[in-house]
Amino acid sequence: MDFFATYLALAEIYVLLGLSTNLLVGIVGIFSVSQAAVFGVGAYITAFLLMHSSTPFPLAILVAAGLCILLNILVTLPSLRVSGDYFVVTSFGIQLLGTAVFTNWTKGTGGANGLPGVPAPIILGHEFIEPQEFLLLSSIGMGLGCLCFWLIMRAPFGGLLRAIREDELAVAALGKSVLRAKVSAAALAGAFAGSAGGLYATFLSFIDPSSFDLDASIFLLTMVVVGGARTLAGSVLGPFVLLALPQILALIDIPASFAAALRQLIYGLLLIVFMLFRPQGLLGERL
Amino acid sequence: MSPYLDVTGLNKRFGGLQALSDCSFKVAQGRITCLVGPNGAGKTTIFNAITGFLTPDTGHVAFRGASLDGLSPQRVVRHGIARTFQNLRLFADLTARDNVVAGMPGHFGEEPLGAIFRPFRTSRALAGKRAAALEVLANVGLADRADALVRNLSYGEQKLLCIARILATSAELLLLDEPTSGLSGAALTEVMALLRRLQAEGKTLLVVEHNTRVVQQIADEVLFLHQGHLMAQGSPAEIIADPKLAEIYFGGAL
Repeated sequence: MDFFATYLALAEIYVLLGLSTNLLVGIVGIFSVSQAAVFGVGAYITAFLLMHSSTPFPLAILVAAGLCILLNILVTLPSLRVSGDYFVVTSFGIQLLGTAVFTNWTKGTGGANGLPGVPAPIILGHEFIEPQEFLLLSSIGMGLGCLCFWLIMRAPFGGLLRAIREDELAVAALGKSVLRAKVSAAALAGAFAGSAGGLYATFLSFIDPSSFDLDASIFLLTMVVVGGARTLAGSVLGPFVLLALPQILALIDIPASFAAALRQLIYGLLLIVFMLFRPQGLLGERL
Repeated sequence: MSPYLDVTGLNKRFGGLQALSDCSFKVAQGRITCLVGPNGAGKTTIFNAITGFLTPDTGHVAFRGASLDGLSPQRVVRHGIARTFQNLRLFADLTARDNVVAGMPGHFGEEPLGAIFRPFRTSRALAGKRAAALEVLANVGLADRADALVRNLSYGEQKLLCIARILATSAELLLLDEPTSGLSGAALTEVMALLRRLQAEGKTLLVVEHNTRVVQQIADEVLFLHQGHLMAQGSPAEIIADPKLAEIYFGGAL
């Protein structure tokens, strides 16, 4: 039961994170490969506040989300100057920068050894330490994220974002501020990634840079591509499918070291096969 | 009284090319003014300069007495001027109706906080916009295509949708970049009738047009542009009767 609850809670956290990538990459067309770095900042800030201060868990998550909003606006702003393919390179640099800080700022992040002993969330005196209990929190997080995503996508704001993806110049010619819309979208994506980071850190109680590196960003893109870009259903389905893969591999009798490599291989293959044969993913629109 | 649209002394140089050379003209309210001239005369450059897509090296643009110098495209639209593009620039993956909704001035629900925390008000705002968009589409004769994706529309329908989209901004002065190019037969007649109707509804039109037959039929006033300079201004009959202009326009074939 623990095993299954752990899988569900992790997948829900990744849904929240995937919404951030889907909003930027799928909806607005800002091809960011640095969302894992923002996710990491959320995780480290939450961990730091809970370990070194008496900040209550909900406040810690809010602070993490708030700072990630600012951070994500900052790292997305270059997309106003460099467009399309060029932004991928910029965003690639931001991701590497993030990994470098997580790995080398030993005092703050524990460096490559990671940060053990992140306390479990406590809300109204109740400690959410068992996976089954934590599932409640991650479900609330995912639920709120999905609700926000659905609300903005059906609103005129969603239409504006999709129009920006198609033709920024035409949007400006209609009297709309592209800057304002992009900053808003980046803020929202930052809030998703930051709060997902906070949930992740407190759920696993141990974090290290490997969860927030370039591989993680690409894993995130794979989730969005396989699940289906541009739709809420796709964002929800992707993480559940991809996180099930290691569990399925664990059932087959192969050595653990080989299983890890095989998993990476399968993720890579999935990304290629989907882009070639089903770019809209399982439940999405064509990217 | 100040002129409706007043363009004075525009100069723009792209490297070695003088795209606009001391170009000045006025556009009168409520009229259809056609901007004609051979390829490369600077017609689209003038549109870009008026709408803030390009900053001229020197010169001024004023609309209803207010200076538009240095304004961004989005601010120019708020002054009541909207433009179409020669290459359409429609949102191809959106429906015709959503293209028009995107052109409507900033209503409620166009920023995330309102959309998230005031969902019912957002619903009402969206319903209002969608209904208004349908009216705009009906005005250009596309009501029955409202829910079709742009990429499934015919070229003629796409041209009409471009006009519908800028009508949604409620601009009074419409800058149309070759609204009839690539059209013939019924589609051409339809666009011409639409331009006349817009004029009757009180809009002022500045139109880049290549088809001399269209110019003759719709223009109240013609501006003849050559090498970035305004060569002549007059009624369609006057411009077409001028042998010097015909020589420039048709390369001496007439």
